[in-house]
Amino acid sequence: MRSSISSSDGTPGSGAAHPDFVRLTAADRPGVAQPVPERDIPERPWGAIWLGAILLAMALIGAWELHWRAFGVTPGYANTDSEWAQQRRRIDHGEGNATVLVGSSRTLFDVQLPVWQQLTGERPIQLALEGTSSLPALEDLAADPKFTGRVLVGVTSSLFFTGFAYRGDAIAKAHKEGPSRRISNWLSMHLVEPYFAFDNPDFALATVIARQEWPVRPGTHPRMAVRKLSNSDADRNTHLWNKLVTDVGYRDLARRIWSQQFTGPPPPAMDTPAKLEALEQKQIDRAVAAVAKLRARGVKVVFLRAPVIGPYYDFEEKIAPRARTWDKLLARTGVPGISFTDYPQLQGLEQPEWSHLSEPAARKFTAALVPLVVSVFQQTPVLAQGTGPR
Amino acid sequence: MIFASGPGTGLRGKVVVFNSLAFMAFFAVVLALHALPLPWTTKKINLLVASYLFYAAWNPPFVILLWVSTVVDWFAAQKLVHAQRPVVRRAWMLLSVVANLGMLGYFKYGHFLLENFSDLMASVGVHYVPPAWDIVLPVGISFYTFATLSYTLDVYLRRALPARKFLDYALFVTFFPHLVAGPIMRPTELVPQFESPRKGSRRQLQFGMVLVTLGLFQKVVLADGFLAKAAEMIYDAEQAPGALDAWVGTLAFSGQIFCDFAGYSTIAIGVAMCLGFAMPDNFRFPYAAVGFSDFWRRWHITLSSWLRDYLYIPLGGNRHGEGRTYMALMGTMLLGGLWHGASWTFVVWGGLHGIYLSVERQLRQRFPGYQPGPVALVALGLLTWTLVNVTWVFFRAHSFSKAWSVLRGMAGVNAAAPILPTMYLATTLLIVAGVVVAHWQMRQRTLESVLQRVSAIPLAVALGLMAFLVVITQGSGSAFIYFQF
Repeated sequence: MRSSISSSDGTPGSGAAHPDFVRLTAADRPGVAQPVPERDIPERPWGAIWLGAILLAMALIGAWELHWRAFGVTPGYANTDSEWAQQRRRIDHGEGNATVLVGSSRTLFDVQLPVWQQLTGERPIQLALEGTSSLPALEDLAADPKFTGRVLVGVTSSLFFTGFAYRGDAIAKAHKEGPSRRISNWLSMHLVEPYFAFDNPDFALATVIARQEWPVRPGTHPRMAVRKLSNSDADRNTHLWNKLVTDVGYRDLARRIWSQQFTGPPPPAMDTPAKLEALEQKQIDRAVAAVAKLRARGVKVVFLRAPVIGPYYDFEEKIAPRARTWDKLLARTGVPGISFTDYPQLQGLEQPEWSHLSEPAARKFTAALVPLVVSVFQQTPVLAQGTGPR
Repeated sequence: MIFASGPGTGLRGKVVVFNSLAFMAFFAVVLALHALPLPWTTKKINLLVASYLFYAAWNPPFVILLWVSTVVDWFAAQKLVHAQRPVVRRAWMLLSVVANLGMLGYFKYGHFLLENFSDLMASVGVHYVPPAWDIVLPVGISFYTFATLSYTLDVYLRRALPARKFLDYALFVTFFPHLVAGPIMRPTELVPQFESPRKGSRRQLQFGMVLVTLGLFQKVVLADGFLAKAAEMIYDAEQAPGALDAWVGTLAFSGQIFCDFAGYSTIAIGVAMCLGFAMPDNFRFPYAAVGFSDFWRRWHITLSSWLRDYLYIPLGGNRHGEGRTYMALMGTMLLGGLWHGASWTFVVWGGLHGIYLSVERQLRQRFPGYQPGPVALVALGLLTWTLVNVTWVFFRAHSFSKAWSVLRGMAGVNAAAPILPTMYLATTLLIVAGVVVAHWQMRQRTLESVLQRVSAIPLAVALGLMAFLVVITQGSGSAFIYFQF
């Protein structure tokens, strides 16, 4: 009696009907103990084949590396979730009293840790995440009793007040990160990242292929994704990639990419003034709650609006005017803020693609910013419980 | 906002996935240890410890579950083989089944059961809010649970004797190449391999690494690099897809899940071969299947044969009349669907396959002896593949509403704006066509029998190109799809 999940005998392709199958599987042996599998190895000169394959692969990888170096890329550390998690763990491992930077790419690219260290003797922990509101990271710090230091909170209007968090899940991942990911990251930081320029998602095969001049499918409106903009050090100290300064074509491309969001209809969650204001209100409420928790532990907080110019500035003022957002945020939280618009020393710096400072400009900016931040922190009283923000 | 591609993580990995730097380092150490002139028992202990480390690297506390499963089944098998009375034998077997399925049920289906209970109560007017269920699903639990169950069941069914040594048995359960996503090994396939010294020969190492490279190419380049994104753009979008998008999104997933899972199995087989062990085929060019019984002889073979041997046959198989056969068939496929995930969409996926198999059985009875000619064979193969693609909609969609939306699209009912850019249409169709053509070319062959006839230079070029493409695709170190099951 046949006992098989199959109802058929002699099914086309079954081992019984086609002896060409040189290897039977459990599918061909119903209802019995399965024997030790047999695996045949083709009689080929595998040693010589591997030698040829390795030489070919190395030659191709070398050519690929040279291609990207010729494009202006240099090896550097990756801005990955694991590297963010590594910095985040410093708070858990004895640096709870540190100065921490949260924010989006402007905080990440524009605040230079070496300059900060030179001026204060302390190198802050860089936890800003590009394309991401600073609120998730601020809330994460607020929920961590080990953090008792100082926090500079970058506010990019178009992200902060809409709650957009392109890399928001980095925070949850950091708390769940297992040993495997940590080991892989350690290996990558020691064996791959410092040596290979092509090891960057911007130069991954699928990304490169997607960026070719494909015919536009009628009815679709493909948007260009943000290209490589920065270089990072091992502790996430990051600066704008110099190609944005030296290569006019690349700079213009970056500007065109930003410009895509300046026109067109807003997303459905923000398509009426009422919806937009409700969204802003929600973000301010989140900030108020997070700040209250932090200040109750004696953490000193300062908000920062880093420079933005040109059409990008106009866009942000249009969707999130200062009076309705920044001023209200400071008033509701009771936290001091530093807006580049209020300080001449934070203005007039080189911003090739409107949104971020060039590396030399970022150093100047940090040198001008640090005394302001230190002064704010010195003047901020440690609030007693119950005297927090409104 | 216009941030599209995520920050790269290279081969940096989440769990110790085969496509991670952590695994490469781990595997190099294991290979080196295994090559040392140590006593065989020491080498097995090394493999066992390495396998526990492999699992612990994801989440150390869950190693306890592995131990529980290992110890319970070891003792249950020892006891039942010595028991004289059938009722006692049955009791020890049931202890093993209840312990294993209980663990699986708690971790994998607890939340699902509570949610459904809550919905049921709501339907009769009782408002019940289930408690928060924040339980992490232990990676690979469905795989090692089935592997250990097959041990006690084989002993109970007198198909096999218990392992002579606990070390051999523990290593069978834990052996890292198959631990988290199969192939689901039977004790009779692996335990005997641990009884005598084994070391990978130079040829096994060389060909094992060929399989690892091929598997990585399938996973990193084809599945993750190109197909996953196209499937995501359709299945994770709010917008309903039109006919072309719905079909291409589904074909992309069809190719992705094959390249992901067959890639994983190929790497697992290659890794085991490097150490001198043999693991069974898990795939046999399934997209060239003609009929659904043929498909299940080719797709996830170790699961389908497990379900056949330990579920379908005990349910009666085809020994108790037509009605009972169809019930056993449907029951097996529905539970097989649920095995994949705690969601009704997986049950529907299994149910569709059950219906397909039942219809095929009826047709075979109505047209006994029918042998398709070459054209009919291709036509029936394409029909099989098309209907399999329809089932993938339920497998991939996170909800029934999304599944219906995609199915309506595939039927040409949605009047929707296009979604997929030209690049994703072109790459998906090219890769999926390549996969299907390759399966048809290979449907009567094995990979090894084909490689035997290819000369060295094309093999070296193909291998070098695959390695190069794996490196420059970079990958996201993303987990294999079947890890979630």
